[in-house]
Formats: sequence, structure tokens, C-alpha cells
Amino acid sequence: MINIALPKGRLGEKAYSLLSNIGYGCDDYEENSRKLIFRDEKGGVSYFWVKPSDVAVYVERGAADVGVVGKDIIEDGSPDVYELLDLHMGKCTMCVAAKNDWYDDTSRPLRVATKFVNVAKKYYAGLGRDIEVIKLNGSIELAPILGMSDVIVDIVETGTTLKENNLKVYAQIFPISARLVANKVSYKFKNGELLALADKLSNEVNK
Amino acid sequence: MNYFKEEDRVLSELEALYESHGYKRYKPGCFEDYALYIDNIDFLISKNVVTFSGAEGKLLALRPDVTLSIVSRVQPRGETLKLFYTEKVYRRPEGGGEFRDINQTGVEVIGNIDEACEAEVASLIIGTLAAVSDDYMLDISHMGYTEGLMDSMPVSPECKREAYACLRSKNVHDFAQLAGRCGLGDDTVKCFAAVANIGGDALSAVKAAKALAVNERMSDAADQMEKLVSTLKKLGCGDRINVNFSIANNADYYNGLIFNGYIGGVPRCVLSGGRYDKLLAKLKKTGGAIGFALYLGELERFFKPDGNFVDYLILYDDVSQAEALERENAYIKKGFTVRIARAVPEGYRFGKTEDLRREHD
Repeated sequence: MINIALPKGRLGEKAYSLLSNIGYGCDDYEENSRKLIFRDEKGGVSYFWVKPSDVAVYVERGAADVGVVGKDIIEDGSPDVYELLDLHMGKCTMCVAAKNDWYDDTSRPLRVATKFVNVAKKYYAGLGRDIEVIKLNGSIELAPILGMSDVIVDIVETGTTLKENNLKVYAQIFPISARLVANKVSYKFKNGELLALADKLSNEVNK
Repeated sequence: MNYFKEEDRVLSELEALYESHGYKRYKPGCFEDYALYIDNIDFLISKNVVTFSGAEGKLLALRPDVTLSIVSRVQPRGETLKLFYTEKVYRRPEGGGEFRDINQTGVEVIGNIDEACEAEVASLIIGTLAAVSDDYMLDISHMGYTEGLMDSMPVSPECKREAYACLRSKNVHDFAQLAGRCGLGDDTVKCFAAVANIGGDALSAVKAAKALAVNERMSDAADQMEKLVSTLKKLGCGDRINVNFSIANNADYYNGLIFNGYIGGVPRCVLSGGRYDKLLAKLKKTGGAIGFALYLGELERFFKPDGNFVDYLILYDDVSQAEALERENAYIKKGFTVRIARAVPEGYRFGKTEDLRREHD
């Protein structure tokens, strides 16, 4: 039995349809269900739907053998897992954005609003820039508009939200896409099964 | 006009203010014995201290606060010391991040503290806030009043701590639940609610506080506050004072009047202080003490709304460089900031741009 943690939402559904295409479908799977676990004894697979930012936790702690998680969450949380495959979906970019007329005022620490505290710290440490991190959980774009922060570090997909709020991208930190991650112990004890899954998935993704 | 010097202007104004009242500048050493902070860690607003070993292996610290340095060094012998300081302190900012050096200026009076001393310090607090901005507010409270209120409740120390937390956050609903759990009556809840919500004009607020006092400790404290407020009114600086029993300093160190100062547009308290006889006693010194500190770190953005702003940009080329320099000097003499450049530099905002390049086309 392979336990797979999928992120709730569009990305998880796409990941499920990929997995189902390569023979890891689940008979009792229903879309838009409130059920959190789907099992398929015959196929030897079990799916959990969890909050996207929690997938890596389930995998790291072995509740799931593998999971699908965004590179943003891997970079910010540095979970102790193997990153087996780039699924080339859910693509976006981790960016620094600010108001259209913003200029860096180097005479004082930069105020950075973000959900990704560690990403922001690491990025600015690399630049040797002193920052003040403001941890937010959503609507990050609001912070510079209200003058609470100078910049934001956030995921940008199309840039429409930024544009509508008179913000723009000033730097790209790294590209993001969904990754297949595996628990390090499962990788040993279920090595054959996991490698087969990763292999098939890789062929499907690169088709 | 010149944002870069705003902090310096305030500091020199404050220095003149303190000196005009006969306060003497005190210059503590750069490094402190780490033990001083470890023994009094609760006195510090910011508990993190930068430490390193000194030349002789002793553990030293970059001071996170100036009051402790002063109080540990001075010993008034009969007289009353009136001191002020402007020093760097090393703290981690609110919300985390690396240590920063922050300017702090403040006043300490150590020795025989009478009502006149207290009123003078309070008027200096008001003068300090007014030097920063006309749009200031001062909250006053009294440890005797809040401690007296807690004394009136026959509950365990743990419940007292919870009750204090409720008072600090003006949280009457959770206090009502706590009172229910601890078997306190409705009268206590009503009194607590009234104390937590006291506000408005300072004189009527202290009168209300007096009326609510349920023991001697509370009424003595309210009397002291009333005297202070009416003295400040007489001195003409009592208009921007509030009574607020939700401000709290550590009861292990502070024992009388306490103060918090605010500036409109700055989201956090910028000044705090009070009567701290208990710290002296802890450091085995005799006498009383009162003081306050203004945290200039909190005012950084208030002083410099836009560090990238320059009044004039003068663009020059080979032919016009001499003229550009002349104009630059002329504007600087008038008190403006000027940048001369061959092309518009990125990252700055300019009030006016004068392009001397085109004139020679």
C-alpha cells in the first residue's frame, strides 16, 4: 500500500488525474467530496487530502509515503524528505514585488511582508540587506499598499493581482512547480513501489 | 525640509531641555558585565542581550538598556542626582530579526524623590514628546492602584497574573469568567470593568479612580495621581494626558507612577518610564528613583518618511559642471538637499530637476 498526500484544490486534482492515468486510480474517488481519505485495496493505494502547506509534514512524519507539494513550501520549510520528481505543473515564481513607484531606501532596514519568512530571510541575507520581516497569512499585496511594508515576497503566477493593485515585480527569487516528495524511510522500505510510481509519473509528465 | 536631520534636531532640543532643568549628562561605558542583566532580566523590555568575552575572559554584554547601567553605578549620598543620557542600545526589534543599535535618550532622578521631582519628570516627559511632535499623548497609571486592585481579590497568585493580563488587555469578559471560577462577586467584576475602562479628561478620570478605590493602597495612589495631574494642568501641560490602568510595568521593579508616551502615526509606544524604587532596593541601594526613556528606534520612519528624497537634482555635462557645482552650493546654503549627476540616478525621488545639459546644446 502506498499512502499519498495530495494538496486540496486544483493542483491536487491535477496530480490525482496524472496518478490515475498511470494506474494509481482509486475506485471510490469522487470529486467535490468532503471525505479526506480514499483507499483502493486492489490497486494498493490510499490518498489523503490535506492543506497544501501541510503535505510535506505528513510525508516527513511518515503518515504519507509520498506527496505532491509546491517548491515554495519545500524552500520555506526545508522538510527532511526526498524530492523525487518535478511534475512541471502549478508553475509560478517566487518574487519580490512592491508598488510601481517604489525605490529601495538603503538608509534603513527593508520591511518585507510575506508568508514565506525563511525564503525572505535567506534571499536578503544573500544580498546582505538588513530586513524586518512581517509574517502574514494572506492578502500579502495589501501590506505595501497600506504602507505597512516596503516590499512583499510572494508567489506570482500571472501577475494580474499585482497589476490590479499597482504593484510590480522587482526581482525573481526562484521558479516554483509541484514536486513529488517521499519519506526517507518509506523510500527504503517501499523502494521498488515508490521508484515504479516515480518512473511512471515521470514518463506521464514528460509525454 | 531636511528629513535626515530630524532625529538630531530632536536630540539636541532634548539635551537643551534637560540641561535647562539642571540635569547632568551621564555617559556610561560601552560594555557591561553580563551578570547585571542576568540578575535583572525582567527589568528589560527586550530580553535578548548580545554577549561576548572581554579581554580578561569575563562575560560582557552590549547594553540593551541604559537605566540599569546608571543605577548600578551611582550611589546618591544624601543628595538627589538628576541625570540624562543619549546612548545606543542593542536590541532585537519587535517581531524578531537581528540585533540593531537603537538610539535611546532618557532621564533618571535618583535619591530623595518628592512630589516636585515626580511632577518635574512628568513635565519633562511631556516636553520630550512635544519635541518629537505636537500630536502626542501621555498615559499615566500607578502601580499602587493596580496592585491595590489585585490585593482586593482574595485569589491565588496564578489567578492574579491572569487578572493582570485581563487588565492590560482591557478584557472584561474573560475577567468575568475568571471571577466566576475564583468565586469573586459581581461587585469585583463591576469595579474591574470600571477601572479597565477609565479614560477621558485626566482630572475627571482620577476623580473616578478615587471613587472606585476599595482600599487604602488604591486611594493613596489615586490621590498622588490627582495631585500630579492638577500640578501639570497648572504648569500648562496637562491637556494631553490620559489615565490608563492598562499600561503596566513589571511590579518587581516599579512601585509608583508609571508613564507611556505615544506619537500620532507611530503604531507602538515610544516612551516609557516610572517610579522604580524597587530596582534600587534590588541593587542594594537606598533612596528612590524615577525616570523615563524615549525609544528613537520606533521613530525611525516617523523622522524619515522618505529617505530617498532629495530636493534638487542638477544634471550637468562637461561644459556645465562648474555651474552645477555653484548651483549645488547655493541651494545647500538655502537649506536644501541637492544631488548633481550626469544622468538621472535610479532609486531617488527629486523635488525639482534642473537640467544644465540642455542649456548648452
